[in-house]
Amino acid sequence: MRIDALLERLLGNAAWLVALIGAALTTVGTLLPWTYDRSILHDLTVYFYPAGAQVYTIILGGLALVYLLAQRGPLAGLLGVLFRGGSGPVRMAGIFATVVVWLTLIAIAAALGGMVNVDPGGFVSGAGALILLVGSRAMPVEETPELNGELHDIIEILIIAAVLGGLLLTAAYALNTDQAWIFVLVLIMVGGVAAILQKGGLLGWFTRMAGRHRRVTLLAAFVVAFLFPLTQGDSDANMSIATQILIFAATAIGLNIVVGLAGLLDLGYVAFLGSGAYVGAMLSASTFANIGWTPPFPLVLLIGALVAGFLGIIIGSPTLRVSGDYLAIVTLAFGEIFRLTVNNLDGTNGPDLTNGPNGIPAIPDLELFGFNFGDQHTIFGVTMGRFANYYFVLLILIAFVITVFARLNNSRIGRGWIAIREDERAAEAMGVNTFGLKLLAFAGGAMLAGLAGTIKAHHDVSVTPDQYVFLESAFLVAAIVLGGMGTVAGVLLGATILKLLPEKLRFFSEYRLLFFGAVLILMMRFRPEGLVASRRRQLEFHEEDEALAERVEDDVAEVTAR
Amino acid sequence: MDQFLQQLINGLSLGSLYALIAVGYTVVYGIIQLINFAHGEVFMIGAFGALTVHTVAFDEDMRSLWVLPVMVIGAMAASVGVVILMERFAYRPLRNAPRLAPLITAIGVSIFLQEAVRLFYGRIPGFDDAKRAIPFPQIEFVTGEPIAMGGVVIQRAAAFTIVALIFCTVLLWFFVNRTRTGRAMQATSQDPDTARLMGINVDRIIVIAFCVGAALAAIAGVAHGLRYTQIDFRMGFLAGLKAFTAAVLGGIGNIYGAVVGGLVLGLAEAMAIQYVPGQFGGTAWKDVWAFVLLILVLVFRPQGLLGARVVDRA
Repeated sequence: MRIDALLERLLGNAAWLVALIGAALTTVGTLLPWTYDRSILHDLTVYFYPAGAQVYTIILGGLALVYLLAQRGPLAGLLGVLFRGGSGPVRMAGIFATVVVWLTLIAIAAALGGMVNVDPGGFVSGAGALILLVGSRAMPVEETPELNGELHDIIEILIIAAVLGGLLLTAAYALNTDQAWIFVLVLIMVGGVAAILQKGGLLGWFTRMAGRHRRVTLLAAFVVAFLFPLTQGDSDANMSIATQILIFAATAIGLNIVVGLAGLLDLGYVAFLGSGAYVGAMLSASTFANIGWTPPFPLVLLIGALVAGFLGIIIGSPTLRVSGDYLAIVTLAFGEIFRLTVNNLDGTNGPDLTNGPNGIPAIPDLELFGFNFGDQHTIFGVTMGRFANYYFVLLILIAFVITVFARLNNSRIGRGWIAIREDERAAEAMGVNTFGLKLLAFAGGAMLAGLAGTIKAHHDVSVTPDQYVFLESAFLVAAIVLGGMGTVAGVLLGATILKLLPEKLRFFSEYRLLFFGAVLILMMRFRPEGLVASRRRQLEFHEEDEALAERVEDDVAEVTAR
Repeated sequence: MDQFLQQLINGLSLGSLYALIAVGYTVVYGIIQLINFAHGEVFMIGAFGALTVHTVAFDEDMRSLWVLPVMVIGAMAASVGVVILMERFAYRPLRNAPRLAPLITAIGVSIFLQEAVRLFYGRIPGFDDAKRAIPFPQIEFVTGEPIAMGGVVIQRAAAFTIVALIFCTVLLWFFVNRTRTGRAMQATSQDPDTARLMGINVDRIIVIAFCVGAALAAIAGVAHGLRYTQIDFRMGFLAGLKAFTAAVLGGIGNIYGAVVGGLVLGLAEAMAIQYVPGQFGGTAWKDVWAFVLLILVLVFRPQGLLGARVVDRA
């Protein structure tokens, strides 16, 4: 921050101009070639129109230009309506543009052996991004404006549809690239655009608009998710990742009931997913299943949920006596007991139920109403493989899980949970049945995980004890913490990040756990409320923020009035 | 009777190991009410520190007794160094944050340390790949022929662990009760604010508490290496969980409680192997019994065996 003050003193009123020059150079540089080798990052050798990584740069540089021109100059009146926020968005643009451009240049240098292989365009953009960064840091800090306009309903709905459609196309584009560099750059660019729009108030405006048309937004999001397999062509690899994300996200949302709403830290939650999976496996037609009873799958689903819910009640019952860190340890111990137990029930150390460390392999594909999930089928001329079938079922599952979560969140029960999370003693004094609600949180969350588990068993083809270790529980908690506690969007985001990155970044897979540990530490240090924070949650971590407190109060008043 | 005595010795030596680690949980908790989830990794780092010193400074088959103190010092240096960095960069910034934050940070630290050892240890030339269990240097006097007494066989490493615990407990008692710093530590754990007013540098005391725990965990790391003849980067997780169980069993915050809790837990495991009937006995289920014990203690006597303070925290 001291550097910012120094820059501000040095540049003074010229800061805006410096930033403008930087933004212009960044944008212009993308129209020149960045290197001579066509094979790198989608052909960066062309003149007068941007390609590949240059597009990401032009988006960020262009946004910076728009925001700068909205402050001064002839276009200020026209652009000033929407693009407010002063230096905030420009600063974000500066940071992200610099990262994108220089990462691209480093990628070129790494692929061809040295910076000499970067053509002038790259340096123009690179220098421009740095000038933009310096100029924007010298501009005085302004608060994020609140944009409050309302448009005609139909226009608002069209905007929502367009934004979600754009997200679908971006996701499809990013997933289908086979180059890790491009994938990383797209991610940074998308993150940058989100950060810029957030600082400019547009993201908040969009969120409020989506909130006004909640049903439309949910429907549109669901349609987008439904269309996703159609963008993937015949690629089973991406569909496999997508199904894994959905299973993980459904489980994490179940856990979010326990951790996010009721504030009970559960570090053994993966045991519920595991129990569901083991029920699914043991009651399947696998030759290694020792029970010898294969009921129809809907019944298995029910049994899996009930068994997990029963375990949830057993695990939840000590919550009557212990709380806080101790509860975390108790649940951690339960998780370990589950793992050790399924590892030992192999016939020599106990009754032969789980086939011990080998687990239950060769679980056949699901068959529902005469449709075998291993079969391929064709929609609109696109061939859908095995994982697409599971994807659609899991989509229904996650829609169900989200509905349960949202319903509970807005109900009397949900408010009881939040009261317990905030202050258990006070909640009890106000007549909240704390013990019953805590048990319900454990049982409900566990049942959702059990449901996901029964499908996971068929999806994975086999279940083994080493899939259900403490690290998986830690990952689930991390998905919630990273994304934002108590929100659905946050958990979905967190789950996607945690499952997608390791799959897509093979070069990074060796280090991913190291980075994961570091990210947990840094997140707790700098943004403990998560990426998508509910306002109330945010307030808990920023108690001294008066403005935020007022906004939360307004929100509460709004909800009560409704 | 011989069987019982044998299990008694086994249990006591296992319990000594738990007790040495458990002290680390308890001293830190006693002062800042933080469960340092990453303490198991401090123990693991200790073992790797000792291994590193041995590999760097001595021949592979150097087995004389005087090497042992050097290894212990190396282990302590590694553990204490890591713990100081950990306190400074991970825990201190969060001292006034909501309770969940340091807990998540601790999980992060623990994963980070495990991975750091796994990734970088194998890369240093001359070392074994850390992905597998690494053989730990053996010291002739401590790991040689077991001592046979009547029908009972005592592994020398087991005896070493028990002796180390006795030695450390005496030192710890002296440090806590007879030195200025120790008494400042007691005062801080009673009431940090008043202690601060009395001119005690609370930040320094917290660091010292972390360091005391780390030093004992380092000794436990060496003892573990000598006892099981090999170490690996995952060994901290289960040991840390067990040691935490021991700390809770004895009453967390009470240093002597940690020692008692460790010994009780070790004995309980050893006896469960021998005396639980049918298929649920034997080594396969001993960890399960330890965790069942933890849950029972937390549910029915959350203040632990020696803890007098009523534990009531949200």
